[in-house]
Amino acid sequence: MTSKDMFRHIGDYPMIQQDTEDKFHGKHLLYLHWENHPMFAAPFCIPVPRTLPFGAVIMEVLPELYGEHPEFEDIDWKSVQWFNSNKRFIPDVGKSLEHHGIGHKSLIRFRTPALEGIRAETGF
Amino acid sequence: MDTRVTKKKLGLKERYAAMTRDLHWDTTYQPMDKVFPYDRYEGIVVHDWDKWEDPFRLTMEAYWKYQGEKERKLYAVIEAFAQNHGELGVTDARYINALKLFIQGVTPLEYAAHRGFAHAGRQFTGAGARVAAQMQAVDELRHCQTETHAISHYNKYYNGMHNAPAWFDNVWYLSVPKSFFEDAYTGGPFEFLTAVSFSFEYVLTNLLFVPFMSGAAHNGDLSTVTFGFSAQSDESRHMTLGIECIKFMLEQDPQNVPIVQRWMDKWFWRGYRLLTLVAMMQDYMLPKRVMSWKEAWTMYAEENGGALFADLARYGIRKPKGWEQACEGKDHISHQAWATFYQYGHATAFHTWVPSKDEMDWLSSKYPDSFDRYYRPRLEHWDKQAKGKEGRWYNQVLPMLCQVCQVPTLFTEEGDPTQISLRETDYHGMKYHFCSDHCKEIFEHEPKKYAQSWLPVHQIYQGSCYPDDINPASPGDSPVREVMRYYDVHAGEDNGDFTNSKDRKHFRAWSGRMKPQGMGE
Repeated sequence: MTSKDMFRHIGDYPMIQQDTEDKFHGKHLLYLHWENHPMFAAPFCIPVPRTLPFGAVIMEVLPELYGEHPEFEDIDWKSVQWFNSNKRFIPDVGKSLEHHGIGHKSLIRFRTPALEGIRAETGF
Repeated sequence: MDTRVTKKKLGLKERYAAMTRDLHWDTTYQPMDKVFPYDRYEGIVVHDWDKWEDPFRLTMEAYWKYQGEKERKLYAVIEAFAQNHGELGVTDARYINALKLFIQGVTPLEYAAHRGFAHAGRQFTGAGARVAAQMQAVDELRHCQTETHAISHYNKYYNGMHNAPAWFDNVWYLSVPKSFFEDAYTGGPFEFLTAVSFSFEYVLTNLLFVPFMSGAAHNGDLSTVTFGFSAQSDESRHMTLGIECIKFMLEQDPQNVPIVQRWMDKWFWRGYRLLTLVAMMQDYMLPKRVMSWKEAWTMYAEENGGALFADLARYGIRKPKGWEQACEGKDHISHQAWATFYQYGHATAFHTWVPSKDEMDWLSSKYPDSFDRYYRPRLEHWDKQAKGKEGRWYNQVLPMLCQVCQVPTLFTEEGDPTQISLRETDYHGMKYHFCSDHCKEIFEHEPKKYAQSWLPVHQIYQGSCYPDDINPASPGDSPVREVMRYYDVHAGEDNGDFTNSKDRKHFRAWSGRMKPQGMGE
């Protein structure tokens, strides 16, 4: 973070980070976002184990989050583009989130080039 | 014969001075700075408190008299409203949901404002500013009470109001207004006045009160309209205080200008984000519409606000950062918000619905550049689902929230309504996420403050919002249901689709009106 901190206060001001990883019962928070598909209002936030294999994200997590979208079943998973925040990466389905550098409060964004939701076919 | 003592009666001006500024004294046992530390630490330099122009020359005595008269009128109308079954006179039971949003999200803000002004009324060194803040503290408390009384009549007949103050402290969408005011009153008194008196009340207030009060007038809700009239004269005093405080700071010292500008940037954006809820109410929840959000924004923000900032330019003040984005957003935010509340309509304390075809046509005509292209298709899809064998769709998984405004990250990029706008930063080894550049910048100026935001979604996962019999590590097949139980929101009665609601059923049965306007039955 850049040093723009201009916080002024009177007396001691305790450092309280409300959402540290230790508070989530052995899991950590993961955000997921399917681009161009605003039938889902915002990216999702879910608690997941650090050791979750990426394959389980594709096979178990995403269908639960996005399965109701009419385009979901047509996704060609080989052509999906994955981003850890803004950084593109190629997932290894057998390896864990941790292995991919995806930790507490990471955001996974994915694009399905043939299925453009709001920009094309479904309109949402 | 007794000697007649002629009492010299004070003139208005003298009486005013005696009852305000003359109540002040400089402390001698303790240094003034120690007694009034709060109006120094923010960095605002004041050379001469006597330059503070009292925006309304009102003594407490006159204040009680005026307010007492208004109160008598208001309660007479509320009484008559109840006697005449005013709860059945509204256009359609869908309208009540706008009132639910008001009692849940706006009325507690009046109380929060009371707290903030009570604090400012103690902490300013200048007596004029202290008295003005104290009077406003009383106003705000009165508004909280009178709104509660005006709306409580509806609580006897409709769902979604019975536990509003507790919801304000817990429920995800109410953390948006709650955190706004907590952010404001945990600042110093000058920032508080810039946030609430200036940015919120002076620049944006018409966008809050006009939609609700004109909405009430258009939809047959006499008791809320009367409250609106009763509060109106107070609001104009409050606005005057806002502009006076800004001018005072800017005129006292050039050093104050950048501080005030940064507060304006911050609080314009915080206020704009908060008004997303009002935009949605205005475009979607009023059966009989007043004007679109876009029209209201154009008139009250762009035209009136534009003139205001042109006037402040002589002090070196420019329009708040984010102004352009906010103006661009007028085509989008109400639709984006309603789509969010529709899909999380099992996690609200009011009803949602798909607008009728007539209503969608109205939205098309008011939003020719955005509604048909970006927002209509999903509403029609949901309508088809709701009427077909799939049934009404609810989104079962919780959304990501912005660390600062606490709204789900539902807003789109400027110039591209197909892309959700997402920003992030690292602070003390952790990632923080935002809906926009402006919320991110607010965080980066005061990260220690916002690192402690109580974000409802994260709190649910931490286990702070489950009933005692639920294990937060494994809350069962429907965490949302358990959270609603904790909130004391009755699933299906206080929320869910309006079409199947008790509110709708009761309104039809009691009023004998089978065809609520616009529902196309």
